[in-house]
Amino acid sequence: MTTTESTTGPAADPQPPVLAARAFDAVKVYGTGDTEVRALDGVTCGFEQARFTAIMGPSGSGKSTLMHCVAGLDSLTSGSVYLGDTELTSLRERELTELRRDRIGFVFQAFNLVPTLTAAENISLPMDLAGRKPDKGWMDEVVQTVGLADRLGHRPSELSGGQQQRVAVARALASQPEIIFADEPTGNLDSRAGAEILGFMRRAVDELGQTIVMVTHDPIAAGYANRALFLADGKIVDEMAAPNAERVLDRMKRFGD
Amino acid sequence: MLTATLRSLVAHKARLAMTGLAVVLGVALMSGTLVLTDTVGRTFDSLFASAYAGTDAVVRSTDVVKSPFGQDQRAPIPADTLATITATPGVAEAEPTVTGFAQIVAPDGEPVGNPAGGAPSIGGNWGLVAGLNPFTITDGAPPANAEDVVVDRASATTGGFGVGDTVTLLTARAPRTFTVSGLAAFGEVDSPGGASVALVTLDVAEDLFTTPGTVNEIGVVATSGTSEEQVVEALSAQLPDGIEAVTAAQRTAEDQSALGQALGFFNTFLLVFAVIALVVGAFIIYNTFSIVLAQRMRELALLRAVGASRRQVTLSVLGEALAVGLLASVIGLGLGALTAIGLRGLLGAAGIDIPSTSIVVSPTTAAIAIGVGTLITLAAAVFPALRASRVPPIAALRTVAVEPKPPVIRIVIGIGVVALGVVNLVGGLTQGGDAALAGVGGGALFIFIGVAILGPAFARPVVRLLAWPLPRLRGITGTLARENASRNPRRTSTTAAALMIGVALVGFIAIFAASAKASIDQIIDESFSGDLIIDSGQFVNGGISTDLADAVRVTPGVAASTGVRFLTANLDLPETSTPAGPTGDAAFVLGADTTALSEITDPQLTSGRVSGLELDEVAVATTIAESAGLAVGDAVTARFPTGERTLTVTGTFDNRALLGDWMVDLATADAATVDRLDVQVWVKVTDDASVITVQDELKVVAEPWPTAQVLDLTEFKASQAEQFDQLLNLVYALLGLAVVIALVGIANTLALSVYERTREMGLMRAVGMDRRQLRAVVRWESVVIAVFGTLLGLLIGLFFGWVMVLALSEQGLGVLSIPVGTLAVVMVLSGLAGVVAALLPARRAGRLNVLTAIGSE
Repeated sequence: MTTTESTTGPAADPQPPVLAARAFDAVKVYGTGDTEVRALDGVTCGFEQARFTAIMGPSGSGKSTLMHCVAGLDSLTSGSVYLGDTELTSLRERELTELRRDRIGFVFQAFNLVPTLTAAENISLPMDLAGRKPDKGWMDEVVQTVGLADRLGHRPSELSGGQQQRVAVARALASQPEIIFADEPTGNLDSRAGAEILGFMRRAVDELGQTIVMVTHDPIAAGYANRALFLADGKIVDEMAAPNAERVLDRMKRFGD
Repeated sequence: MLTATLRSLVAHKARLAMTGLAVVLGVALMSGTLVLTDTVGRTFDSLFASAYAGTDAVVRSTDVVKSPFGQDQRAPIPADTLATITATPGVAEAEPTVTGFAQIVAPDGEPVGNPAGGAPSIGGNWGLVAGLNPFTITDGAPPANAEDVVVDRASATTGGFGVGDTVTLLTARAPRTFTVSGLAAFGEVDSPGGASVALVTLDVAEDLFTTPGTVNEIGVVATSGTSEEQVVEALSAQLPDGIEAVTAAQRTAEDQSALGQALGFFNTFLLVFAVIALVVGAFIIYNTFSIVLAQRMRELALLRAVGASRRQVTLSVLGEALAVGLLASVIGLGLGALTAIGLRGLLGAAGIDIPSTSIVVSPTTAAIAIGVGTLITLAAAVFPALRASRVPPIAALRTVAVEPKPPVIRIVIGIGVVALGVVNLVGGLTQGGDAALAGVGGGALFIFIGVAILGPAFARPVVRLLAWPLPRLRGITGTLARENASRNPRRTSTTAAALMIGVALVGFIAIFAASAKASIDQIIDESFSGDLIIDSGQFVNGGISTDLADAVRVTPGVAASTGVRFLTANLDLPETSTPAGPTGDAAFVLGADTTALSEITDPQLTSGRVSGLELDEVAVATTIAESAGLAVGDAVTARFPTGERTLTVTGTFDNRALLGDWMVDLATADAATVDRLDVQVWVKVTDDASVITVQDELKVVAEPWPTAQVLDLTEFKASQAEQFDQLLNLVYALLGLAVVIALVGIANTLALSVYERTREMGLMRAVGMDRRQLRAVVRWESVVIAVFGTLLGLLIGLFFGWVMVLALSEQGLGVLSIPVGTLAVVMVLSGLAGVVAALLPARRAGRLNVLTAIGSE
């Protein structure tokens, strides 16, 4: 249960970690016959609780597909995915929606916010959809953490790109999900705003014990993570504990070979 | 550029289909109307032609009285004119025709036919000269004696009787029973245009339908070798003054043109609704093109960036509109034939029977339908096209455009257009005839357009206010619906404006009808002191024999009573600018026992004497007297169907709503008409008698006339209201199409919005919005738009109703009654309609694939 068997690198932690989410022999095939693409080709991996994991890989490596499948946005062709003890492949569409709403947080690369809602409304959107009252104290803390207190009444169009991503991070944190999936969260930002966002995510893991899984192709972004998984051609090809930008870059360069 | 246009057309088939649908429906109603009118016209043209197929000339009186409803009445001629005619060289055979009102009552006591709202109930003589008689016996034999009648096959079928059965004829004389000696067909058909026909011997016909010794006209067959013109020329030389001979061709042409005129009214009435539908369609086309072009801004800018001129962009958009308009109009025309059948059913349900024959689609109809449909589409696309051409090439590099705030000039123009509309509307209502129609129609159109121009300026606050309860009731989905409905004020207000038009007219009609009913009630309550009304249910096409009024007068318990009939007269007035009737000086004159009338009603005397009128005395409504320059003692020349009479004005009265414009006593009425038919009998019971008892007695007295209904005032008001409701339902049904088109418009806008918001919907789905919630967002947005449009419409309808009552208060529409219940139902229905309009767009939103949506550009 707690092993990370087919990962090729050495184990990162001395004691067995608790997994927030995991995938077993995940296969995702798009198209049939000549046009068949195996986006995921037997991936088995786990994402530890209260850790920041980066999924790295070149374009078309399957890293986004892996995230989408683990996050209940896409379904596997075969294999299984667990969020905590919940097996996702057997869930119906409606149950998946509720799972995303109540147990998962999302930060996308762009277009993270509903343009007609204010920053505050965007932050509480998942809870409003669930008909739950947000925890006022926790909301305040989150808002403070991302430094948005004076921007809550603004609409996305009145916010800068960095501020918009901060709102998105706040939304992901606000409902205290079991896991947050971030898909290239800094892809559209300049390096300063990007560093800010990554810093918030790091703090969320360290100070709030949040679990975060981030898909990125940016070695600098990966440097904020506890661990990096490397995907190529739908398979996990490497793993790196306590990655830093240089080592990741080196590893990435080898994909080109 | 043409390639770009065509590619764009093909690439957005669904969008085109939705846009086109609005045009298709409008054109279908228009071509349906034209097809129906053409079909009816063609039917009757051939009917009239066959009526005179074997006739060469017709001899008749030169005295014609025009009716306010366009049906001319001609005086009878002496029966002995026949001798002069047969003695004329070139005449082979001649035979008189006598016609009049004859309602057939089947053996089971049920009246056959519906002369109040359809083909007339005609009685006449059976022609013995084969060439002059368009009827042929199919069963039995022609009438041989005074007890025999030949009936058209259609009436026999409807009434469920046949040869040998006994029927009753209700005419201007006492009810009389006949034995059906035979059934006749009119040429190839069972009945001439659905009319019921009862043909008796000439002697009986003269007795029933004219004054003895007179006939209506005399048909002539020329000797072989003599042409129609030659025999007319020969006859003209012999005939005395006041009697003329015309060719059968001319006679047919006259009938056809009279019918053409009658159909013209009918055509205009239906075309008004087609125009309304097309205007609503134009709003939707305008809106769709605006939205689509805004969405395609980057594509257009790219075209501009790579070198397309503004002109080319405009032409490309207009080309698209042309293609949509043309295609939709052709489909609409195709559906027109079906619509015509539907319209016939609809009119039938409202009591207006139209004979069913094969459908005629004339080239004119096709040209008009396709031309108008295409032009309206093009016109609606002009503004969006010009706006599209102003997209700068740099926009290709920008992201989404922000909708600009409506400029002040827009508000100024909007207010100006509304003001122009109000001026036209009020101006139209104070005029008569075509000017009124043009003024009211144009005024209403300007008001609609003006409000639509102003819409974007106030749509946002009003929509937010209307949607205020949504976030509280529906939480986040309510908030999102409210925000979506108010984020594009121009889009929302134009979409709502399309619905506004239909609702405004529905609201107006509802208010008008309620006010009319309330006004009738008020008139009866305030100025009618009688207790019972015997109603024939008919107006100009027939009535009840005066025998009934005579019998009522001597019934125990009746204190005062009078038959009431309407005479057609042409009046020569000192000042011609009089609103005497819709066709110049043609007027209806009320004929009644004026002494009894003063006891039963309050004429509201203003000068002279209006009761106990003698022969050739007339009383006039005060306003008519004023506008015609008449005073007590003045003489008025009036032409009646029996000839010219000089009437002396004895007094003036104000109660125009109940008594009409002109009033004479029975002596004058008897002298002025051939067919003495009462429309109603008004009764006041004695103080010591019970109304119910007298009503029961009168029901017995009226038994021989199964068409007559003995009603107390409550029942009478209800029956009047029922007639209104019937017409009301017809109008609602016709306006319904405009509302349906507007709903298509809402669905269209929502579909385009859903398409445009694919990404944010994908995002919402990703963070946990379920399909049901997403559908609810779309649905509530639709409801908000629909309610907004309905509210605007009801406000405008209320305004129209108020103006109408102001303008017509003197003609008897004195009470403004607002049917709050009906309007509330309209409001609720529109909300539900919003739900229906959202069905498809919401389904589409719900089916959104989350991954594709968040990945889409």
